[in-house]
Amino acid sequence: MPEVEERQSRKVLALLFNVRILRIVGQLVAIGVLLGVAVYLSDNYQANTRQSTRTGWSFLDEPTGFNIAYSDFRAGQPVRDALWVGIRNTAASAVVGMVLAVTIGVVVGVLRLSRSWVARKAATIYVELLRNVPVLLIILFTAAWLRTLPRIESARSIGSVAVVSNRELAMMSPVAGDNFGVYALVLAVAAAAALGLATWRTRVSDRTGEPHHRVLWGGGVFLLVAVASYLVLDSPLTWSHPKTGDASIAGGASLDIGYVALTGALAIYHGSHIAEIVRGSIQSVPYGQTEAATAIGLSDFQRLRFVTLPQAFRVAVPPTINQCLSLTKNTSLGIAVAYSDVSSLGFRLIGSSRAPALQMIVILMVIYLVFSLTTSLLLNMVNRRLQLVER
Amino acid sequence: MEPLLDVPNFAATSEPLPIPSPEPSGRPEVRLTPRQWVRQNLFATPFGSLLTIVFGLALAYATYRLAWFVLVSSNWEIVRRNLRLFMIGRFPFDEVWRLWASLYVVAGLGGLLSGATVASAEQLALAAGREVTRPGRWDWLRRYWPALMAVGVILSQTRTWTPTLLTLAGIALLAASRWLGRQAPGLARFVWLGLLVGVIVVVQLIAGPGGVGWDDWGGLHLTLFVTVAGIALSFPLGVLVALGRRSSLPALRWMNVGFIELIRGVPLVTLLFLGHYVIPLFFPNTFQPPSPLARALIVITLFESAYVAETVRGGLQSIPRGQYEAAQALGLAPWKVTRLIVLPQALRAVIPAMVGQFISLFKDTSLLQIIGFVELLEVSENVISQPTFLGQRLHTVTFGFAALIYWAGAYTMSRESRRLEHRLGLGLGGRR
Amino acid sequence: MTDTIDSATTTAATSDEPMVVLEEVDKWFGRFQALKHITLRVGRQEVVVIIGPSGSGKSTLIRCINRLEEHDSGRVVVDGIELGNDLRRIGEVRREVGMVFQSFNLFPHLTVLENIMLGPRRVRRFPQRKAEQVAREMLERVQIPEQAHKYPGQLSGGQQQRVAIARALAMQPKIMLFDEPTSALDPEMIAEVLDVMKDLARSGMTMIVVTHEMGFAREVADRVMFMADGEVVEVGTPQHFFENPTEDRTKLFLSQIL
Repeated sequence: MPEVEERQSRKVLALLFNVRILRIVGQLVAIGVLLGVAVYLSDNYQANTRQSTRTGWSFLDEPTGFNIAYSDFRAGQPVRDALWVGIRNTAASAVVGMVLAVTIGVVVGVLRLSRSWVARKAATIYVELLRNVPVLLIILFTAAWLRTLPRIESARSIGSVAVVSNRELAMMSPVAGDNFGVYALVLAVAAAAALGLATWRTRVSDRTGEPHHRVLWGGGVFLLVAVASYLVLDSPLTWSHPKTGDASIAGGASLDIGYVALTGALAIYHGSHIAEIVRGSIQSVPYGQTEAATAIGLSDFQRLRFVTLPQAFRVAVPPTINQCLSLTKNTSLGIAVAYSDVSSLGFRLIGSSRAPALQMIVILMVIYLVFSLTTSLLLNMVNRRLQLVER
Repeated sequence: MEPLLDVPNFAATSEPLPIPSPEPSGRPEVRLTPRQWVRQNLFATPFGSLLTIVFGLALAYATYRLAWFVLVSSNWEIVRRNLRLFMIGRFPFDEVWRLWASLYVVAGLGGLLSGATVASAEQLALAAGREVTRPGRWDWLRRYWPALMAVGVILSQTRTWTPTLLTLAGIALLAASRWLGRQAPGLARFVWLGLLVGVIVVVQLIAGPGGVGWDDWGGLHLTLFVTVAGIALSFPLGVLVALGRRSSLPALRWMNVGFIELIRGVPLVTLLFLGHYVIPLFFPNTFQPPSPLARALIVITLFESAYVAETVRGGLQSIPRGQYEAAQALGLAPWKVTRLIVLPQALRAVIPAMVGQFISLFKDTSLLQIIGFVELLEVSENVISQPTFLGQRLHTVTFGFAALIYWAGAYTMSRESRRLEHRLGLGLGGRR
Repeated sequence: MTDTIDSATTTAATSDEPMVVLEEVDKWFGRFQALKHITLRVGRQEVVVIIGPSGSGKSTLIRCINRLEEHDSGRVVVDGIELGNDLRRIGEVRREVGMVFQSFNLFPHLTVLENIMLGPRRVRRFPQRKAEQVAREMLERVQIPEQAHKYPGQLSGGQQQRVAIARALAMQPKIMLFDEPTSALDPEMIAEVLDVMKDLARSGMTMIVVTHEMGFAREVADRVMFMADGEVVEVGTPQHFFENPTEDRTKLFLSQIL
């Protein structure tokens, strides 16, 4: 009798210490805890919002109750449309910001490795100064500085190229003239021709070995056609010059101060981070590569073009994309300078009780997540393509 | 096939030879004459010369403008009048002794723990047979000049000598306790515990009985508190999440992946608003919902721990398989393998990256101003619109003052982490 | 000491004009003098092996020949072209001089074939097809034609070094420099690289080889040169060198490594 008991208890013990069973139990417990917490929280949430009139998702079709500055959006339009305006604004800031940040980053990063000590120091100061200050401070400072510009009633023109005021900046912008359609067609044809020419030059070079000069040939032809047809077609493109009026700026392309402050500040802040990436990636190419390239007789330019830069590029791409991601997330700081990006519109809707907080924030999170996850998916794909093949 | 072995006089050359080794790749340090230096570093190529001239002029102009601004054109009255706001917000003056007391607690504890950490690191290095270079006499000046400069600028704006004297006393306490800490390297094991205890003691000291509730805190004091509390709370959570992320249980792993990706894919502002508006709704209505600062701290801790987790994961991945296998072969239980073998190595490897993470936390505390906290950045924006100073374009002064403080903190930390990385041969890419 | 050099030069030079002439070459790294008055003539089709303890300036010496290092005084003449500050001449010399490094220095982002074609295509300006043909020939020569489309990271050390030799040969150089080509290799791979180098020497290539492979020196070298502390200590035929060296430093070195 005690023997049977012992055997049984041993069986139980064996079950208790069976790795597989333990693993399953562990996972069940984890899932259980997660579900339990979720149920508890959602119960509380429902209890707390029972009296509230705004539940569910119907708020998306209700009017916002406010106009959006610098857009055609009017108070009567639904929340749904306001969010679209916000997404477009976020994209406008993020895309321009990325282009500027990468440009700044590449220039400053290369300057940090320059032969000139002074240029190196200047680039270092730029990087160390901006990297170590909160980005919000840079945004607010830029905005405060732009607000010291003349009031819009007494806006100042710089030549007839630009007009500055403390509400809007305007630049001259191209406007389609009479023959614009024809001109565009001609340009398209010229571009195709230039491309063909470049390909042909590459082939010739492959066949004979002589230098291809494809950029010179293609670009030259394109420029030639562009200028000649511009003259022949009698100015198919004209410039719209901004003019000061009372309390408004007419003509040109105008940007509101919030947009300029946000985008500019993000560009210089993330530019300083990208500069460090660029510098690090160029330095990560071993010196032996330079020596080997020199030893087979490549010129300085050829060495950069065929050996150093292709390798540095692989190293730089992933962290640079991460910076671009973080720049996009930081456009949400637009709220601090009254720029109507998607999250600042969302917060405004919550603040004016036009949207329930939880739903609104979930929508915002989904928008950013979709963007982030697509980017990181892309990043992983690019990364796999770029990785050096090794054993 | 191997004719080399036929020659009787020679040993098999395929054996590694004892004496000749590949020439050392590091060159002897080049010391140039001033003329050589100028030629190589300023006017090496025509384009280089152009850069030197252009940037030389630009730098000279910037320096001139800066000097003009600091010495002549700027009016620091706005900072002098509002210095208390900048430092501690609307903290009642009668209770300021609590802040000084807590500052001394921080200085004492910080000195003790940092001294102990350095001493234990040195002990380890000595045990491993590596040379330990003691810092030179003026090293502290070279290392901490940004922070010292910021403190100097702040103190120069005070109207009485009391703050200066109290600060000097604090610095003396720091130095003394650091010395004490160096004598007791064993304390290094309790750094995180010490940090947590420090945070609790400070909160009790300031907000405890008769004190000032933390929702009335502000200025630099709030900024620093949120930074330190954020570090102390997010570190252990982040390590747990990183371990979960690497767990062999799929359910656990996916939960943690979900958490990390969710948090890292979303801007901090959005989460702060979530904390501000939504967290109270998750608490049962029989319960007093947490205060605004507590909610902000919850959000910051969760946010930061996702990033800490990714950093720690990098460290965990850098541990070779052989370490796990060796530890398992010794018969250590899985959690002991992690705690005794893997984690210590992984955390050591990610110290520099972790410091970088905490620097961004320090800078990110400025986002609290968006949900209505009056921390350092908000103060510098607010004071511009005080009636006395309205319309005088003083944003350069106030933002400049705040920027100096942020910059000094972040720059000192980043230099220290680089120094650590260099000195201890740490970092993931460092060992080659 | 100058005695030995002169006598060796006269015996070994096979043509009137030497391939490489170094006269009184000095090289400083800051206050450290890496090369002290080095004088050396290398005749056409001659194979010179340079040995010596680490830090003795062997690598610096051959790196001065294609101006990876700039010499501070003295003359360096390669195939009748004197190296100075003239960029065109430096380019000309580099085209004539192939170099093989200790750490291979293959370009990891290019395939084996692309590695070899880069020089012929971009420096010699060969047509694509000819460059590829040359590259394939060179791969045949180093006996790994089947690896043409792999990346360097996929090859063993010995194979990588042979690709590096092929890359240098594809420029059709008149002289090849080898900077410790086998020091970074596992023992079993050294032989395959040395075999390629022996073939090359037999084909009449002018070679300067820095190495610790005494067997190779004995079998292939026309002259062996021993360097220490930036100076040429002793030069002579392998026989003279290994069987009755005159200088004490040489004897000490040989006794340590043999």
